[in-house]
Amino acid sequence: MADEALELLEENELSLLETLDHVLNRGLVIAGEITISVADVDLIFLGLNVLLSSVESAQEAFGKRGARSVIDDLNRDK
Amino acid sequence: MRAGDPKLTERETKSGEPARVFYVYCIAERGPTSALLNDIVPGAIEADGALEMVIKDDLAAVVSSVPASEYGEEALQSRLDDPTWTALRAMRHEKVVEHFARKSSVVPLRFGTIYLERAGIEKMLRERNADLRAIIEHLRGREEWGVNAYCDRSVLKTNITELSERLRELARQAEEATPGRSYLIQKEIEALREKEVRAAVKRVAGAIERELSNYGEAATRLRVLKDEATDHGELIAKLAFLVDLERFGEFRAAAERLAREHAAAGFQLELTGPWPAYNFAVDG
Repeated sequence: MADEALELLEENELSLLETLDHVLNRGLVIAGEITISVADVDLIFLGLNVLLSSVESAQEAFGKRGARSVIDDLNRDK
Repeated sequence: MRAGDPKLTERETKSGEPARVFYVYCIAERGPTSALLNDIVPGAIEADGALEMVIKDDLAAVVSSVPASEYGEEALQSRLDDPTWTALRAMRHEKVVEHFARKSSVVPLRFGTIYLERAGIEKMLRERNADLRAIIEHLRGREEWGVNAYCDRSVLKTNITELSERLRELARQAEEATPGRSYLIQKEIEALREKEVRAAVKRVAGAIERELSNYGEAATRLRVLKDEATDHGELIAKLAFLVDLERFGEFRAAAERLAREHAAAGFQLELTGPWPAYNFAVDG
């Protein structure tokens, strides 16, 4: 019962959407030179918006099941 | 990337941009990072640039070179529109950070941190040494766990009378009342039911966060995804916890206890991790 109610996603059982969420939405933001050197505008902020919309579109594109194909790609990747 | 920028070097192409730039994954202490780089390492974000370190004093950034044609600001932004391209690179980024996070304390960077030159990374490591060291110390011996709480509202709705004292009381009154009065009480029950469902969702989400916070530092996050319905029901809370390695057993036991306690009412918990501490690599 406990195991049904609490689903522990194992490390090798890839959760693509969770990974996208972590890698693209979070993590320390350090301004790279590219975002700084282009112009005076706050491009870092712009960059974050782009990342956010990228997560959304990836999540919409894959859904939980569609993630499989990317994971297969990734396995071939090795 | 203006032409004539003094930062640009001999690696420049004719257009004035360097052909290769540096993708930065994470920052950690020099010693352990160097050892871990000598292990079998995961693939870099692009196959043509191997993982390497940029060292400044006691810190090391894990980097790999990438073509400027794909990782320059405009190019990268348009690449990000392609979900498959992004997903593959995000996974590679994650694999690299995981490799170093498994055995050392690392500051994971967000996807897409690009430097034009090694010297820029060294400068950043030097200027932010104190902040970065503070984060590394804070994360030492800890890992991030994610907790997603879901609610099946139809299950919750059928069970809500059990959960709500006020609804139970009204149901009792309805049974004892005259038919006309009973009808009015039923109307009141229906109106109250929705309200109580919302209150229960809030209460349970709050209880999960409070209870699990006893075992680590918590960060509440909002969901990015607009369509929140999943196989498990509707996502009601997405939390991240920084948990001491030796307390993970207790943390997991508490999560299982909460899952059991709220399962009948339509709630489900999902535990994900261990993650590099993406949510706790906060600049002091």
